[in-house]
Amino acid sequence: MTVYLSRRYGFTAAHRLHAPALSDAENRAIYGKCNNPFGHGHDYQVEITVAGEVDPVTGRAVSLDALDALAHREAVEPFRYRNLNEEVAAFRQAVPTTENLALEVDRRLRNAWQDAFPGGNPRLEKIRIWETPRNICEISG
Amino acid sequence: MSEEENRRIYGAAANPQSHGHNYVVEVAIEGEPDPVTGMILDLKRLKDLLEERVLSVYDHRLLNREVAAFENKVPTVENIAIDIWSRLAKDIDATGRARLFSVRVQETDDLAVEYRGER
Repeated sequence: MTVYLSRRYGFTAAHRLHAPALSDAENRAIYGKCNNPFGHGHDYQVEITVAGEVDPVTGRAVSLDALDALAHREAVEPFRYRNLNEEVAAFRQAVPTTENLALEVDRRLRNAWQDAFPGGNPRLEKIRIWETPRNICEISG
Repeated sequence: MSEEENRRIYGAAANPQSHGHNYVVEVAIEGEPDPVTGMILDLKRLKDLLEERVLSVYDHRLLNREVAAFENKVPTVENIAIDIWSRLAKDIDATGRARLFSVRVQETDDLAVEYRGER
């Protein structure tokens, strides 16, 4: 029986939304306060949803220890207490919007998934990232 | 499994004296709204079903001892979601327009399981 298990993690990070290809005036118009030159911080939350078969003996669809270890390594530690623009390679070019952050987390998890869960169970179903309680980005499939 | 295996797999959750959670259950139903009432299921009917089929069975119980489904099964949040589904699906489907779509059980702020049946 397939269930969808969701586990939530958090990290704090700083960023500035500024697209080098656009003028200062355009950046201000598009990103508003998020374009402030000194950057600002968020308490991000990352929710990872896996689709897994429930083991008849343990009643578990995934080892939470294994999921936590993978999540901390790929979805928390690379960003925790970092200035995303300055300290995370993925955002040297890409603007660290919630969208691009979600894509980066998704990419990192997918690259490491096979090693963490070699049997193909569970699958990565989707991720969601909260930048604020009302600004959320989801990537599925 | 041995005591040692249990401790390794479940950690603090294997403590013999057990522990508690404030579970939150979210039930989603799907269907075409009735053209007259605009509803797929009277929410009062749904509330009564949840009370009768789920809350009266689970609320303030020691799941391992007092809920039949867990006599031979570990009451993980996965198995709880599946059991709640099996308690509701037939009755909700029998109401006419509504079908049970999903059961989501939130065990803690950072752990939840959703089950959507096998159909």
